[in-house]
Amino acid sequence: MRNGRPSDILLGGLCALAALTGVGALFWIIADLLQLGLPQISIGFLTGEVTESGRSGGIGPILVSTALILLSALVVAVPLGVGCALWFSEMIPEENRGGQLLTASIDLLASVPSIVFGLFGMVFFCQVLGLGFSILSGGLTLGCMILPIMIRTTISAMRAIPCELRPAAAALGLTQTTTLGKVLLPRAVPGILVGITIGVARALSETAALIFTSGYATRWPGSLSDSGRAVSVHIYDLAMNIPNGSARASASALVLLLLILTINLAASFFSDRWLAKQSASCSTLNG
Amino acid sequence: MSRSLSDCILKSSLGFAALLSGSVIVAVIAFLFHEAWPALSSGKLSHFLTDLKWQPGSDRDPQYGIAPMILASILVTLLASLIAIPLGVGGAIFQQFYAPTFLGNIHDRLLELLAGIPSVIFGFWGLTVLVPAINKWHPPGQSLLAAALVLALMILPTVGLTSRSAIRSLDPGLLQGAAALGIGRPSMILRVILPAAFQGIGSGCLLAIARAVGETLAVVMVCGNIAQIPHSVFDPVRPITSTIALEMGYASSDHRALLYASGLILVVMTGALVGWQSFRREPLTPSQKG
Amino acid sequence: MDSLSISDLTIRYGNFTAVKEVSLEVPSGEITALVGPSGCGKSTFLASLNRLTDLTPGCLADGKILLGEDGCILRSGIDVLQLRRRIGMVFQKPNPFPQSISRNFEIPLREHGIPKSEVDDRTETALRDVGLWDEVSERLDQSALNLSGGQQQRLCIARALALDPQVILFDEPCSALDPLASAVVEDHIAALRGKVTVIIVTHNLAQARRIADSTAVFWIRNGAGTIVEHGPTKTIFSAPKDPDASYYLSGERG
Repeated sequence: MRNGRPSDILLGGLCALAALTGVGALFWIIADLLQLGLPQISIGFLTGEVTESGRSGGIGPILVSTALILLSALVVAVPLGVGCALWFSEMIPEENRGGQLLTASIDLLASVPSIVFGLFGMVFFCQVLGLGFSILSGGLTLGCMILPIMIRTTISAMRAIPCELRPAAAALGLTQTTTLGKVLLPRAVPGILVGITIGVARALSETAALIFTSGYATRWPGSLSDSGRAVSVHIYDLAMNIPNGSARASASALVLLLLILTINLAASFFSDRWLAKQSASCSTLNG
Repeated sequence: MSRSLSDCILKSSLGFAALLSGSVIVAVIAFLFHEAWPALSSGKLSHFLTDLKWQPGSDRDPQYGIAPMILASILVTLLASLIAIPLGVGGAIFQQFYAPTFLGNIHDRLLELLAGIPSVIFGFWGLTVLVPAINKWHPPGQSLLAAALVLALMILPTVGLTSRSAIRSLDPGLLQGAAALGIGRPSMILRVILPAAFQGIGSGCLLAIARAVGETLAVVMVCGNIAQIPHSVFDPVRPITSTIALEMGYASSDHRALLYASGLILVVMTGALVGWQSFRREPLTPSQKG
Repeated sequence: MDSLSISDLTIRYGNFTAVKEVSLEVPSGEITALVGPSGCGKSTFLASLNRLTDLTPGCLADGKILLGEDGCILRSGIDVLQLRRRIGMVFQKPNPFPQSISRNFEIPLREHGIPKSEVDDRTETALRDVGLWDEVSERLDQSALNLSGGQQQRLCIARALALDPQVILFDEPCSALDPLASAVVEDHIAALRGKVTVIIVTHNLAQARRIADSTAVFWIRNGAGTIVEHGPTKTIFSAPKDPDASYYLSGERG
């Protein structure tokens, strides 16, 4: 029977199984990581040096290198991305050819696999620009990767600003600089922050692009031109190359997951604040 | 029109930022081409694409056939999609039609968590849990199957979240109309809802497949890394991404040029998938007239 | 053609009462119009007749709705899917399935067990009944969304007719259409008299005057919708007794 109970129960059951698979895998992975890695985590682990290729000691230098890599990425991607987005959304009309070309180029950039960024970074930053295997090379490569994220989130942050503000500012004789700096950008800041957090989460997860650019060193980094490894690369090395490295790898994985989770929560927090701000200001405009 | 010096400076600097941003992809492709040129211009390109042996390290007679890797990339992606798409769409159907709303929302949050897990952790888990399990069933464990399973888990959230979104954004009148015609739940889902949401679900699948093709880390850790044509899902394989990741460290001139050429192939594959996806969105569906 | 007998129907959404203690006799084969200002519960009332209100969580209907010789359709255990075959519905916004014209008929017909061999015949008959056959017979495999608004609405009527219903409910079927299309659809609804029992919710008082045998006027009393006047259309419009109904009907801005 087509619409009889048996077919409904069958479909519902199959779909429930499907839903459970995804959720089940999530819990399975986290449970395994906790089981193997949690006992390894301590303050000593988080701050200590890397010894025995990572089988013992801690991940202190690695966390510092990771932070430096992220910082380099942001220093490049945020100004460039926000600037590009502002040009696209405020300075040119909709049908502008340059704008369309830019959209296509950013879409294409966003689709490039991370390993290819690694290839590019290795040639361009390490060799051509002479930076060698360094934190800076890794950071700049990651900056290229998260550039599309910054651009897209900033554009939607600008788009969410009510249209009336722009002619209002113009009617008051404000220059574009003032309009942008004092009227529009402040409204877009939470949205841009959301973009930064998404970008950071993406960069933290990245491994392939860093393997060929930032190197493998495990010492405390002295400067941006030193080689250094990120947490994700450390996990990769421990898993693939170091026998008995699983326990430390799990612990590092837990730390990485915690970092990403915190950042994603920060992103939700910012976007909630952003939405709250939007509705508040719209009502004052109408009220 | 800029009316002051600050506006001129503003416009130029923003325009410069846009120019720089837009040039990144150009630089990426240009440098890839430059490094790959020795391979592309050598005239051995057709051999490169179709030869079945990959032994670049051999001094006497290095072999540079990338066909097994292309095949491996395609097979791994295909198998992962065959697993992830039914699971993702099925889960979305469960969320929308069989589960109470709060449960559906919790499921969304959990899928987002799953999506946030970095690929290296998937690879690590695959290596320490999945591979030994497959090994017990049928050695060696590191195999096409392992890679496909790990990849399926990674793209499952994309398929599930976009499918649910596509189903939710359907016109509620469609559901009401189907209900008013006395169409039961399973038929409504299979014959009315899914065909109507097909485009949205399809976009999600294309995005997921594009991600799968470009995925490196998780796959390289569990695929077994033997460049061969697999005879069963239990055979080790080596997709293009893994080849680049493993050999880049020690490749010399010719070999290296070929790896860059492989990178170009990857860009073409993922670019084509994403391009197809945005092209599908362009032609507007005939809207209700009159 | 079945008649409908509604007594003391009350419909609640949680704490809010949309319709309170409504009673109505709908004679078989006639066209009954439900009129009244927005928000008086006309559409909610209509939706309870084929239990479409079941789709809204928290919506409860109490009272009696008797369909033909059978018992009350509100009782539990009744096959709602079969009920909706006997009572069809056409909505304000045309909602054909975004698939081919023939699939729009095939899906409900096959769902209710009509054999494959009969599907094409029933499709053609239904399309002829709404005057669409000549317009679409050459393009049954094309998307129903390619049709104009008026054509889509006639398609929806045909789709409901193909199931051989006893009653068809119309919820403001012409309000989303341009005047020309509206007139065509209205004519086809009027032509259903004597073949199907029709209940039509409409804001268009002139339309009710033109096609309805009986009219019921909805109004808000004590915070809930109810019927304040009901009877043969001519009588209702010429000599309404209830003051609110009289006020509304004399507006005649439909």
